[in-house]
Amino acid sequence: MRRITLGGAVLRGAVSTALMASLMSAPALGAPPVDLSKWSPEYVRSIAGTQDFDTARDCAKVTPLDYKGRLTFWYQGVFEGDPDLLRQYYKDFFATFRKTYPNIQLEEQALTYNDLLDKFRTALLGNAAPMAVRLQILGGTEFASKGYLQPLKPEDVGYSTEDFWPGAMKAVTWDGVTYGIPTNNETMAFIWNADIFKRAGLDPDKPPATWDDVVKYSKQIHDKLGIAGYGLVARKNAGNTPYRFMPQLWAYGGGVFDEATANPTYKEIELNSPQSKAALQASYDMYVRDKSVPVSALTNQQADNQPLFLAGQLGMMISHPSDYNVMLDLQKKATGTDKDKAQTVIDNMRYGLIPTGPDGKRAVVFGGSNIHILKPEYVEGGKVDEPAAKAIICMWTSPEWSLKMAYAGSNPGNLNGFKTKWMKERLDSIKFLDVTTSMLPYGIPFPALPQSPEIMNIIIPDMLQNALTGAMTVDQAADDAAKKVKDLMGGGL
Amino acid sequence: MTIVTGSKTEARLRLQSGRSGLPRKVWQHRADYAYVLPAIAVMLVVIAYPIYYTIELSFFNTPPGLQLRDKIFVGFNNYTAILTSEVFWQVTLNTLIWTFASTFVSFVLGFATALALHRDFIGRGVLRAILIIPWVISAVAASYIWKWIYHSDFGIIGAVLVELGLASRPPNFIDSVSTVLPSLIVVNIWREFPFAMIMMMAGLQTVPEQLLRAAKVDGANAWQRFWHVTFPHLRNVSTVTILLLAVANFNSFIIPWIMTGGGPSNASHIWITHIYELAFGRQRWGVAAAYSVLLFLILMTLGYFYVRALSGNERREAKA
Repeated sequence: MRRITLGGAVLRGAVSTALMASLMSAPALGAPPVDLSKWSPEYVRSIAGTQDFDTARDCAKVTPLDYKGRLTFWYQGVFEGDPDLLRQYYKDFFATFRKTYPNIQLEEQALTYNDLLDKFRTALLGNAAPMAVRLQILGGTEFASKGYLQPLKPEDVGYSTEDFWPGAMKAVTWDGVTYGIPTNNETMAFIWNADIFKRAGLDPDKPPATWDDVVKYSKQIHDKLGIAGYGLVARKNAGNTPYRFMPQLWAYGGGVFDEATANPTYKEIELNSPQSKAALQASYDMYVRDKSVPVSALTNQQADNQPLFLAGQLGMMISHPSDYNVMLDLQKKATGTDKDKAQTVIDNMRYGLIPTGPDGKRAVVFGGSNIHILKPEYVEGGKVDEPAAKAIICMWTSPEWSLKMAYAGSNPGNLNGFKTKWMKERLDSIKFLDVTTSMLPYGIPFPALPQSPEIMNIIIPDMLQNALTGAMTVDQAADDAAKKVKDLMGGGL
Repeated sequence: MTIVTGSKTEARLRLQSGRSGLPRKVWQHRADYAYVLPAIAVMLVVIAYPIYYTIELSFFNTPPGLQLRDKIFVGFNNYTAILTSEVFWQVTLNTLIWTFASTFVSFVLGFATALALHRDFIGRGVLRAILIIPWVISAVAASYIWKWIYHSDFGIIGAVLVELGLASRPPNFIDSVSTVLPSLIVVNIWREFPFAMIMMMAGLQTVPEQLLRAAKVDGANAWQRFWHVTFPHLRNVSTVTILLLAVANFNSFIIPWIMTGGGPSNASHIWITHIYELAFGRQRWGVAAAYSVLLFLILMTLGYFYVRALSGNERREAKA
């Protein structure tokens, strides 16, 4: 299989983007444990396995290991699109926590990405929330701005703010106060099937360089082979949609606001700018004009794309490094000739950087999750066992567990995780990991606003659906979305 | 044991004669009220208070950056915003189409099946059991199964049609604004018609056999026997079935939410799914509450007709 050398490309691209300054430079902060300015696959490899950490010893300084207490905890857990490997690490984490803190009665509840926000909001209304919660990166600001969360910074659980990505810390900061700690941070990459590329007359080892190329390649694949070219996702109320459309929007120079700039102010709405419309037009061209993407894109999530890709019915998609492991899991479950077909797809699976826009701009969503402690008045029973909450937060955000809990699909929120022996191990065992970590410098966080969940989960998918179904023209759909954002920001009904 | 003496009885009668009108009637039925008191108390807590709170909430704005307790009073603005919004009318039209089509077809199909199964034939019991399956299986499971049956790229229906050469590519059932609602209605009918079938089968048991025989002796053909004997006897059960179906359809949530989430482009949003999205997805609790109040009024109207139909039924039975 082709060895992907991306260091040069990453450095060139990374240095040239203002975004990198936003994510990586932290002038007000102390020195981070890793040198972010040197970020490249080679650098990541060079620091892996260089430091040992004793999680229990570190967390004992925060909450004594013999502490007796009770903790209710909700978290965004594994779901149908995750690999079995990750499921095992989740099981291991809770088993280890119970072993490390045998006197803490832990009542944990896992929820899927798409269900967690709704359930958590409802629980808060009834003052029945858990004491601690691990939310998607999109959710923290909403709850912090409403006053549900307690101030919580890495120093409260024995770490330093500099141990975490500056971009991730922005997502847990509201009005200058930190309300949570990042558990994991991730960027996705571009995945393609080299065999399909070859049969469609494309260079099997070369991903599309630009989004315009994606449109072109998708059409070529569809026209020559009669299968879907690109795995467009436009389902509403599903996190997968913004994670796949926003990189396209930003690459074309568009945005919801100015979130793609180094110092966003979120004042001007850019959804109906010519650049944003160009991005939407690209999706329209693939779905309506060329019919080169799955028709089911409007009701699909990424989990629906995975079997299509494995069946050799999809040429390209955007996803995590974990998709490789997911394919392996799915292949194991296949039978007869399907098993061999699946193996052929896996052998031809390639990862590359997400394409750029027409001006060479490359972008990806800086995703991840954060962990928070609730204020007692919103918790069932009216009490929060802070030492118990801090114990689990210390463990989850430790170099060891922030890496293990992100083993296949993400990256450790705690930058020290990159130095652990488990990072070295996963670099050797998780194929294409270096490609997705190479995308980190291009990561753009969602706007740190309480309105972000609605914008990303409802307004953006609505805009896509309005344009792709022909309910509106591309211009009308973009204008309509911009108006909705304006109304929302103005506190409209 | 308490022995009622003559003087005590007299005293009670005097007390009763001292009361007149409503209080007296209440006193006379005090035991009845005592029996229903626990139920009323529970209803006040779980029904009356939520209704009151929903109505109150419908007069407030709840922006995403504020907690519900910090809501802002906006008077009738939520109602004005709803009634002047394009989405409201689109969703209302969807709801009406969904409710009437689902109710009408489910009833007709259920009735026809009940008539067919009312005759005695070999395998009737097995067939009856099979036909009830859609109604008894989980709506969530059914929705996921139908989602895959309809899948626009790899659905079973599409695959069969392509395989048989009847279509060049799988039909687009749920990813098109024009076909999504009819496609979901088909699923809803599939799930609901067994209910109508059971109700009508029960109704058919009440049609006097001797009347049908007498009509036959008098020379009435099958249609005349149905129209002049069977159907009049089923009028009440039909009314109740239709009303129950209509109320259930107005309140539908699972099928459209799971299969499409109201999309694409709001084409399959009906009132309940839209209210859910407004409340839990967009946190517009005030607007969602105003929507709920409007829906409540509509359902109360339907409920009134339902109760009237039941009362009429009882009156007619009493007369007979």
